[in-house]
Amino acid sequence: MRLGSLENLRSQLLEVTLALVVGFVGGAIALTAFGHNALENIQVMISYGFRDLGYLLLKSAPIVLAALAFLVPLKAGLFNIGGEGQLYAGAITALLLSKVGFYLAIPAGALAGLLVGVAIGLLRVVRGVNEVVSSIMFNLTLYYLSMFAIQRYLLDPVYTHQSIRVDRVLSLPEVVAVMLLFPLAVYLLLYNTELGYRIRVAGSSSRVARYAGVNLNIVTIQSMAMGGFLAGLGGAIQVYGVTSVVDTTLSSLYGLGFLGIGVALIARGNPLAVIPAAILVSGLLIGSHWMELRGRVAPELADVVIGVVILALSAPYAYRVLTSRMGWGVGGG
Amino acid sequence: MVVDSYDILLYLAFASITYMTPVLLASLGEIIVERSGVVNIGVEGLLLASAFAATLVAIVTGNPLLGFASGALVGLLAGLIHGVLAVYLRADQIIAGLAFNMVAYGLTVMGLVSIWKHHGASPRVGVSLEEIEVAGYYVNPVSLASIALAILAWYTLTKTRVGLALRACGEDPRAAEAMGVDVSRYRVAATSIGGLLAGIGGAFLALEVVGQFTRGISAGRGFIALANVAFSGWNPLLAVPGAYIFGFLEALSIYMQQWALGYEYVARTLPYIGTLLVVTVFAWKAIVPRSLAKPYVKE
Repeated sequence: MRLGSLENLRSQLLEVTLALVVGFVGGAIALTAFGHNALENIQVMISYGFRDLGYLLLKSAPIVLAALAFLVPLKAGLFNIGGEGQLYAGAITALLLSKVGFYLAIPAGALAGLLVGVAIGLLRVVRGVNEVVSSIMFNLTLYYLSMFAIQRYLLDPVYTHQSIRVDRVLSLPEVVAVMLLFPLAVYLLLYNTELGYRIRVAGSSSRVARYAGVNLNIVTIQSMAMGGFLAGLGGAIQVYGVTSVVDTTLSSLYGLGFLGIGVALIARGNPLAVIPAAILVSGLLIGSHWMELRGRVAPELADVVIGVVILALSAPYAYRVLTSRMGWGVGGG
Repeated sequence: MVVDSYDILLYLAFASITYMTPVLLASLGEIIVERSGVVNIGVEGLLLASAFAATLVAIVTGNPLLGFASGALVGLLAGLIHGVLAVYLRADQIIAGLAFNMVAYGLTVMGLVSIWKHHGASPRVGVSLEEIEVAGYYVNPVSLASIALAILAWYTLTKTRVGLALRACGEDPRAAEAMGVDVSRYRVAATSIGGLLAGIGGAFLALEVVGQFTRGISAGRGFIALANVAFSGWNPLLAVPGAYIFGFLEALSIYMQQWALGYEYVARTLPYIGTLLVVTVFAWKAIVPRSLAKPYVKE
């Protein structure tokens, strides 16, 4: 989905805006159903979420990478739901290698994510195992193995609810650079290289791919490797750029991979649109924690809102019917 | 300490029947859904939402049957919504399912915190169904019913006209329509029934397996059910041994967590690694319903 015509962009923006409205209405219904003041809580979530720009951007960077981890395989027609596990693998590997030095630990984290991605791709290519199922099995396995690794090898001797602390070697400008450069790199790769072309052909339909002489198996492995690499890097950056530690329940990592999926879908599969989408989602996330502090509402309201947004976006046909009935004339194609 | 390994094996063999039940019910539901040509990867969310509803109602009323009924109802409604999205609004079924999982997770944690002021678990339910004695061991009646249901689902799918019509919707909706079958209605009915069965599974998980609602109680069982659907080759009868393998892995994992001190987290990975191995070894292709996940648009 290239930026393409302005008309197309306009209709997509309208779709996303409508979906956001639906999402907040869904959140408001949930809040009301559980006996909270909907308006007040949503107001706190939105107004507090976007106050501290530096923190907002810092939190967005790993989510940008997690989103790209879902987006690249999606272009090849694959659902990499394994970003979550690939991100754990990246974070924990980078932590384990902290003594070696960050310049090795961060790439090693990305490599660990890549290996998980390749494993999922191989299982699909060689044994026909559905990548959604294998991804989730890897996520859950890596979730427990990561907690095991922290408890056994990485525990801080003083603060025993978390891992050892690493230096936050990445400064805010560096993290922001990562967050801007990787979407651009993915964009250029997808639309200006031979590999990107093959990925997009593979995603369009298997018949077209066969006519174009694209080897689906190889593209599957390649796109899953890239997806895993990006998620693994996201995990490493979460540790070396954002949190410095990982707690024993993985709460500083948990959910980032799934949020990335949401961001990629809100961005409508456009690598550049991932940047504003990630800022939006991470703002909601930060805001939801403020909301919890003030109103004793679980921050998982953010999951409800984002989930309803994606649900609303999953049916573009519904918008076409809606917009044509209301005479807004953004038919789209 | 002397541990009789035969006794342990027998204990695990029976415990597995309890652990397999939520996965079996969810698998049977998903087989019906996928045979109609729709895929619902929101099974995980179905289990979560119905487990929550069942816990809430069972605690408030003190009646486990009402708990089961509300779990089933929540599953039915969620399945219906997925059917309407997939069939009438032509939604991307994978994405709708993923989104539903997110919504269900968010809603149940919000409910947990709002209703019971706790971030991890509800209070104990304290009531459950009376178990039936079989050869000196106790088995849950719902577990037995779910095995009977597998046979019924197999019979209905393969031997009856309704089953034939449903399978036609999943294989060749155009031909089904020519036979006079309303494809859209069949598909929405299938996702609703699938949701209902997963809903009973979720209620069972909360009321009979765990005894309370916990955050993320489904713990991947919805996806294990999806794996089991592929393992079974979309055959309800084969879903029984598939679910049993998983049930055994879970029973073994829980048993090992008590002994493998310091390695509890490693023991916990057993059901997931085991499921991965099973789907890798028994990967049969080509029996997938041909029109799976493809919206049917009437001319």
